[in-house]
Amino acid sequence: MLNSKSTLVGFCLLCATVSAAAQHCHLALRGYIRESPNNEVLAYATVFVAEAGRGAITDESGYFSIADLCENTTYTVEVSHVTYAHFTQIIRLTENTTIDFRLVHDALLKEVIILEKAVAPAPTQTQNVVEHAELEAARGLGLTETLKKIPGVTMLSSGGTISKPVIQGLHGNRIAIVSDGVTLQSQQWGNDHAPEIDPYAADVIKVIKGAAGVRYGVGAMAGAVVLEPAPLRDQVGANGWASLSAFSNGYGGAAAALVDWKPKRGPFSWRMQGTLKRGGNLRAPAYWLGNTGAAELNFSTTVGWKKNRWKQTLSVTQFAQSFGILRAAHTGSISDLDSAITSERPRNNLDYFSYSIDRPSQRVQHNTLKYKAEWQITDLWKLTGQYSFQYNQRREYDRARNNTTSANKAQVAFQLWSNTLDVALEHLPVRHFQGGVGVQAMQQLNYVSKGGFIPDFMGWGGSVWAMERWRRYPVPWEFEAGLRFDYRWNHVTTTGNGNNDLNKRLAFGNVSGSAGVIYHVSPAFTLRTNTGYAWRPPNVNELFARGVHHGAGRYEQGNPGLQSEKAWNTNLTLEWETKAINVVASVYRNQVQDFIFLNQPRDSTVLTIRGPFPAYFYEQADAVLQGLDAQISTKIAAGFSVEGRLSIIRGYQLAFVEGRKIHDWLPLLPVDRFQYGLKWTLNRDKTKNKNTGAAGETFIRLMASTALQQTRIPVEGLTKAAPDTFTLYSFEAAHTFHFGARRTGNTNERAHALELGLNIQNLTNVSYREYLDLFRYFADMPGLNIGLRAKYTFGT
Amino acid sequence: MIQIKKNLPTLLLTIAASATIFFSGCKKDKETESEVITKVAVHLTGIGTSFDQEFEAIDSDGDGVFNSIDTIKLPQNATFNCRMHVYDETKNPVLDITDEIEAESADHLFVFKASGLGLVISNLNWDSNGNPFGLESIWATGFMASGPVEISLIHEPTDKTAADPGGDVDFQVIFPVVVE
Repeated sequence: MLNSKSTLVGFCLLCATVSAAAQHCHLALRGYIRESPNNEVLAYATVFVAEAGRGAITDESGYFSIADLCENTTYTVEVSHVTYAHFTQIIRLTENTTIDFRLVHDALLKEVIILEKAVAPAPTQTQNVVEHAELEAARGLGLTETLKKIPGVTMLSSGGTISKPVIQGLHGNRIAIVSDGVTLQSQQWGNDHAPEIDPYAADVIKVIKGAAGVRYGVGAMAGAVVLEPAPLRDQVGANGWASLSAFSNGYGGAAAALVDWKPKRGPFSWRMQGTLKRGGNLRAPAYWLGNTGAAELNFSTTVGWKKNRWKQTLSVTQFAQSFGILRAAHTGSISDLDSAITSERPRNNLDYFSYSIDRPSQRVQHNTLKYKAEWQITDLWKLTGQYSFQYNQRREYDRARNNTTSANKAQVAFQLWSNTLDVALEHLPVRHFQGGVGVQAMQQLNYVSKGGFIPDFMGWGGSVWAMERWRRYPVPWEFEAGLRFDYRWNHVTTTGNGNNDLNKRLAFGNVSGSAGVIYHVSPAFTLRTNTGYAWRPPNVNELFARGVHHGAGRYEQGNPGLQSEKAWNTNLTLEWETKAINVVASVYRNQVQDFIFLNQPRDSTVLTIRGPFPAYFYEQADAVLQGLDAQISTKIAAGFSVEGRLSIIRGYQLAFVEGRKIHDWLPLLPVDRFQYGLKWTLNRDKTKNKNTGAAGETFIRLMASTALQQTRIPVEGLTKAAPDTFTLYSFEAAHTFHFGARRTGNTNERAHALELGLNIQNLTNVSYREYLDLFRYFADMPGLNIGLRAKYTFGT
Repeated sequence: MIQIKKNLPTLLLTIAASATIFFSGCKKDKETESEVITKVAVHLTGIGTSFDQEFEAIDSDGDGVFNSIDTIKLPQNATFNCRMHVYDETKNPVLDITDEIEAESADHLFVFKASGLGLVISNLNWDSNGNPFGLESIWATGFMASGPVEISLIHEPTDKTAADPGGDVDFQVIFPVVVE
């Protein structure tokens, strides 16, 4: 086998766990055998488990399933195919496991046996993975657009150019965004600050809903968005993809490419990836949205080194974005604001198309440097060390009087440097326990230019955590518990805006905890519940902001007496998956103690040099957010399936009005949202695996999304009535063409694939406004958008 | 290749160090220019009288909130030449923005709103395109009265002659006025 001319190596592309059986030695290993890099399925491949003495043959769709395997046993899986030499992989099962074996030709590879690394068990919280087809369909759009179809995830936007994800009603510093194992450290304190993430770099994007503080650190009170790149190449050769997208709205385009390369000699493996995006003014059905152009240039490069039990990776990423902010949303004083809000059409609008990005605008840059070393001490124990450096810079360009005299200069700039060191010791099941312990140290420096309304600060943090999971077959129960302690120390210094000589030293420390249970009722039916305690210290802006918030058009004042926010989050998830129906539903309750929010006491204003501004003050109150997220899909006829998704949330705070304690609705809560659609798959046999490489699937999908009017508004009332209920329609279609090796079976020939997709949003060109769009006061959301994309995959 | 393997830790350290220097190389951000209007002065000189006073609204620390606004005290039944002055006192030396505004007169408009005062503000001077500008104006008082006068500087107004000129507010100050 080692000498065979074309050796096949498989690796786990995405290991998604599904429900597990309740009997002894009743684990199933299933998955697809595919050919790299096209994800073309291979029929009649043999998958043989040596220790069990049995196996399976893949069907027409490349699918195999081997039942009755035992927990915690090392199995040697041999995969062979009539036109290929076979390969072997060692795996260890802890749950029912779906694995994609991707077969790659390589004549020179010497080492073929890889001990499959620990497959992270699915969290006890609700987890949603963005479907491959939806990930591809959203290529060229931002991260938030990619996530918004997931029930329970909504979008907090500032016009068409800025949006940030909201998980079960909470956003910003209350969720963690983790890209390639690095938690994004950026300036998430403004609602107009979007996360600096390039979704093109991710192969898998998933959302964890619920308190995830133990796993992802301070701030993951409502959940986490986790982006994972594809693994680096293990075998000599090169592969990659190049993608082009075009959008009719804003005449925008995106180009992206990724190349993986492992040279013939040496233990190194390389990756380079880049994205380029450009768009002009977006168009609402009735008018252009002046100054909503955007430009983005991102790249990342990774080098991996792997030998024996050691593995190292070094990666560098750059994210740079420049975008205009809707001209009509820029208001000076209250009189400006009033006339902008009451104006039928956007006031001061530039009602024409242009690619130029004028003031007001933002330029954002984010750099990450990551070094990670892994040492597989024994087959079960692994020690990981990771250092990451992040530099975040945002420049805000206001429409100031001296636009012309200081043409390219920003009014205000914020810079944030973060250094993080993580060390973790993790283990695969030992006496039925799987988990790990770790420590983290962090240092941050924030520098605000003159004119900024938050102070400079230096921060330090330290954490220790431990997490263990117990599972023993045939017991249908799984238990998980985690504990973490974080300490944060801040030295807040000065700013140039009048908060001089603050010189405050602040310390916050707290425990996070999480406990979860999974009950495997039957192989198709799983219940999971998790209760967790998470916290975050108040942000520097919440404590010390003082001044007019650029872009937000309001005066904000911090409150130095704020306490840490603590959240107790409990959720229950039901998963039911059969061939005919697939249901994931979860209910949750998030009880937040000392919830920090910006409040505008009725009609309060502050007289500033630019006239009176609405005055907002940071306050704290206990709050409760609870709701239901669900998705269901079912096959109704050959090739046809219907699906529905639902997000409902209620949130209130315990407020005191005239000395009386009342339940007052929280401001800015997502509206009730329903999505329903019909999907027609033309090549049915390739659709079984919904979690992975659905590339190659040919389908047409028509979806409708209805957002109800928000009727639960705070007693203070709204500056402008909540937008009406609206329904949007979308249409998607995709097809993949294959060329090369698969057809001929000639392994020397390169394989290629071209995936074409059509994605039409707001099909009926409806004029609508979103409750969670901060610019709903000024203009409609963008109208019809026809997107075309082509993705060319190449390599061996 | 063998050498690379041997020197791997050194290589990685070098890459890490140089990248860190590259990223953190940018220290103080010199690309920001925040003009802060901290002082607005109304300079009134009597026509045919010796009245010559300047009234100021001051935000001395530049946080956007006024620290003091003078009360404009004027004799009754008199006329005055008014000239506005605008300063950024956060700069050293203090920056007088008035000349710059005058040089870009077509992009600026001073708006005066007086009510319940019997104060008439007229004869706004013209910009370079022959449209209203208002850096200079003529104020005429009536009988004894008191009330507010709102003075705004608008930049890039969409229509200088419309009731709502559009554009953005650079400053908006309400001076209390006493005619005695």
